[in-house]
Amino acid sequence: MHTSFLTHMDFRWLRIALLVTAGAVAVYAWHDPIGGPNGGTWVGYGLGGLGAAIILLLLWYGVRKRRFASNAGTVRGWLSAHVYLGLALIVIATLHTGFQFGWNIHTVAYALMIAVVLSGLYGVYAYRRYPVQMTANRTGVSPQAMLEEIGSLEQQAVELADRIDDSTHQIVLRSLRNSAIGGGVLAQLRGGRPKKSEKVEARTEAILEEKNRTLVASLDEIKQREADRIMRAESTMRFVAGQLSEAQPGQQVARIRELMDLLGRRRKLVQRLNRDIQHRALLQIWLYFHVPLSIALLAALSAHIVAVFAYW
Amino acid sequence: MERYRVAIVGSGPAGLSAACHAAELGVSHVLLESAPHCANTIYRYQRGKHVMAEPAVLPLRAPLPFDAGRREEILTAWDQAVNDHRTNIRFNATVQSIAGERGDFTLTLTDGATIAAEHVVLGIGVQGNLRKLGRPGEDLPFVQYQLDDPEAYSDETIVVVGAGDAAIENALGLVEQNRVIIVNTRDEFTRAKDANSQAILQAIDDDNVDLECFYESTVDRIDALADGSDYSGQLTLDTKDGKAEVPIHRLIARIGAIPPRAFVESCGVRFPSDESAAVPEVTAEYESNVPGLYIVGALAGYPLIKQAMNQGYEVIEYIEGREVEPADTPLLRHKFAAIPGGDDVPATLALIQQRVPMLAPITQLQLREFLLDSEVHAPAEGEVLFRYKDYSNSIYSILEGEVEIQPGNPDDPKTPRTSIPLGQGQFFGEMSLISGRRRSATVVAGRNCIVIESSRRSLLTLMYSVEGVRRVVEESFLLRAIQSQIAPGCSADDLSEVVGTATVEKFAAGDTVFREGDAGDCLQLIRRGSVTISREIGGREIVLAYVPAGQYVGEMALVSDSPRSATVRAAVATETVRLEGTAFKRLMEQHPDVRRRVREVYKERLTEDMDMANRTQSGNIISFLVEQGVGEATDVLLIDESLCIRCDYCESACASTHGGVSRLNREAGPTFANVHVPTSCRHCEHPHCMKECPPDAIHRNANGEVYIDDTCIGCGNCEKNCPYGVIRMGTETKRRPSLWTWLLTGLGPEPGAELKPKKKEGDRKKAVKCDMCRELDGGPACVRACPTGAALRVSPEAFFEMSGKDD
Repeated sequence: MHTSFLTHMDFRWLRIALLVTAGAVAVYAWHDPIGGPNGGTWVGYGLGGLGAAIILLLLWYGVRKRRFASNAGTVRGWLSAHVYLGLALIVIATLHTGFQFGWNIHTVAYALMIAVVLSGLYGVYAYRRYPVQMTANRTGVSPQAMLEEIGSLEQQAVELADRIDDSTHQIVLRSLRNSAIGGGVLAQLRGGRPKKSEKVEARTEAILEEKNRTLVASLDEIKQREADRIMRAESTMRFVAGQLSEAQPGQQVARIRELMDLLGRRRKLVQRLNRDIQHRALLQIWLYFHVPLSIALLAALSAHIVAVFAYW
Repeated sequence: MERYRVAIVGSGPAGLSAACHAAELGVSHVLLESAPHCANTIYRYQRGKHVMAEPAVLPLRAPLPFDAGRREEILTAWDQAVNDHRTNIRFNATVQSIAGERGDFTLTLTDGATIAAEHVVLGIGVQGNLRKLGRPGEDLPFVQYQLDDPEAYSDETIVVVGAGDAAIENALGLVEQNRVIIVNTRDEFTRAKDANSQAILQAIDDDNVDLECFYESTVDRIDALADGSDYSGQLTLDTKDGKAEVPIHRLIARIGAIPPRAFVESCGVRFPSDESAAVPEVTAEYESNVPGLYIVGALAGYPLIKQAMNQGYEVIEYIEGREVEPADTPLLRHKFAAIPGGDDVPATLALIQQRVPMLAPITQLQLREFLLDSEVHAPAEGEVLFRYKDYSNSIYSILEGEVEIQPGNPDDPKTPRTSIPLGQGQFFGEMSLISGRRRSATVVAGRNCIVIESSRRSLLTLMYSVEGVRRVVEESFLLRAIQSQIAPGCSADDLSEVVGTATVEKFAAGDTVFREGDAGDCLQLIRRGSVTISREIGGREIVLAYVPAGQYVGEMALVSDSPRSATVRAAVATETVRLEGTAFKRLMEQHPDVRRRVREVYKERLTEDMDMANRTQSGNIISFLVEQGVGEATDVLLIDESLCIRCDYCESACASTHGGVSRLNREAGPTFANVHVPTSCRHCEHPHCMKECPPDAIHRNANGEVYIDDTCIGCGNCEKNCPYGVIRMGTETKRRPSLWTWLLTGLGPEPGAELKPKKKEGDRKKAVKCDMCRELDGGPACVRACPTGAALRVSPEAFFEMSGKDD
């Protein structure tokens, strides 16, 4: 139904790229210049010219995809060509060098080009891999909705903790304050939260667990004590007071359990949101290398061409 | 008792114009207005609202000014005119009853006063009067029946009475800075929209929101408090636990309006049908069936301000016994240019009614209105009026000559090459009008032919208000639908038995048309909407197919004489034509051709269904999309999330090609198995947005796109009516971000960014929605801008067909 940029028009651009590459290899193999293959032979110039033309075409993709009213092909077609011709560049440019490398501007241009292609290759990988994972992780809930849900869970948790006792309130507040969503580039790429917040959260849960255990353990004892007191109670007044104090620990247990449940749900949600942020970061981070490297490549390429013709 | 020549009820545009004209002429008159000010409907518009003066071509002949402009300017100008003319206007005068006839009417007001008049002009509009509490204290100064601005009150205890959308919206608006109590006569909020009822329940449950609800309670009485306390009054409620007394600052009752129809009928005026859109019949002089009682403006079916004002002027002229040429006569004369003798407008109108039976039963006024909204064409012989698969939905009547109808796809070799001639007086184009689908035939003009092309909206209005028109159109639709879909080559006589048994059945979305295992006693031709076919497989209901309007279901059981092999459910609100099995079987016996065709469809479906049953995943996709309302779509944007890199270039492309306002929200919307339905127009078969568009600015063009034209007045009705939330109010700009400036210097906005308009462009908001980039070559920009191929615009049929074959 949907057609990917990779399969665009039954792999039209893959076929063109293979054809161009095969042609370049054939000419290179057939040509046997004096002094071995290099960029200065007519084949060398030819391959260099072809490579430079392809580079300019690939750079133009950045312009075309922002010309939204343009009818010069579809952006999908342009991306398809961008990917396959970009890969063909590796072969064409390598043949253009005649495998002569050195510490000079020419090799810098070549190295930059390889770096650009490799970063692009990661881009293709990311584009194939992360969209599916992203959908699976979201399960139909938008990041905005997750954020709102987290906010609401936190509010409930704080209110509940406040009703339990002061120390719980403090612990929960500290725990919530310590967990992070998103963050800097590295944090986003890692998708996880800082170790510290994990620790604080684990400790909070442990404390609550402990509190819960002690309460449950003492529940029977308290009940027994209250029962004895009520037996000895003489007035209704005392009976009611006894009832109240008995209800207290039972309610506390229920509250702590609910609090633990809230915090658990919140933690899972934070994890999911962080993973979503990670996916997004992984889908975008490579562009921060790919695009500046392309610009650098354009500069180095210009220098390379000027140098070649200046020293002719 | 006071006596006047004319009593005018309602001071809207029509009533004001009539009263001012009467004053101008020195005719004794009284203008009765129930509100304390003029033009209550326009008065209730939001502050600063821009009021349009459509139709622009119509000249204004009223004695008071009217130009498009802000609400305040218009109201001030009218008040001024009322004073200048020394118009006899009486405010706070609600008419309770009108009795009598020409020369001797008696109007009784709610305060008991009576007024005698020789003529009555009714211009009360269609909004109705706000319903009051009907309890002691209902008119106390702190009791109000509407709320213009919730932010005008703070730190008060306010009781909101009512459980509808207006009450809920008011309560939620007020509770931001007040204590609010909502009083509901029932035990739940069922009358409100889902979103509203959820919001109010949430607010009631939330301890942090100062809102409480008295369920199953009614107002008993309201008393003013003068005990020195801060409160202005005390409300007594009848609750299920007895009486409750609540001190309050303010009470806002939002308990609806009383539609004026009952009142109008009580004056003796007849309505032609029970449809809620029906308007009373009036003559060309605006006189109703009660002699001397005239009806003008929206109540007579003329919702536009300028029309109403002209009618107000004209009605006084008629009452004074003068002939006036209606303001639209020059317009009609212009329209009739193609008709020989079209100069004589009354004669041409008579000729049209005499020649076109469909228009015979309508009044002169309705005819004029209908024709004003129509075009007269005199096409050359052989000219194509519309083509198969076009998306136009106008309807044509043949005034002279003949046309040739060529049903079916001209490029499909399987379609039989038949053509049906249609002659003078007949009409065509009703199939698309009723089904909301593309044209099912190509129509070519014959020699010397003159046709009248009328808009969908004006014909629908006629069908609602004139039973005769509806019957003619529906009967013709039935016959032609059977002829084209099931029995081509059969004459009307051959089909008379089947047509005679045919009945129209209506189903709401999700209703069962018939169930697997039922006895098969009929064939169902879908005339509007669409259905899904499903079967129980392994204990679960699996959707096997989606069948759109224009096709039929139920043939399997009839051909094979067995019980229903599958369940058919309405995907959206659907209408079918039910053809009785026995009559249909007889038709198949008499016409082997019909039998063969039905059998072919039967065989095709059988293999398709078997294929589908093995691919339950595609079936699930169908049911998911049908749940999303895609069943009524004609073209929907679907995003394959396994390809979508979330770059939002689709949104940028949309904003960039539409004045900096994106008409699509990629992120929003549900997802199933990687198929994401973003918030973007689906170009419904029967667009919900087209309902209630005051300037009729929403159209569908021949390729199917539903778009909003420049006459949009920004009222927001379409935004509210769209169930899919794809219309937003925005201001487009002519600013164009420069790609190179942004690319090379980083200055200025990026191409595709959402932009604010320049100061001089103004900030008046208009409705914007997807128009499928109809002004651009190459199709929707969102799809063309998608780098990975994740975005796709497709018709549901094509998608379902392909998703069946894909996996």
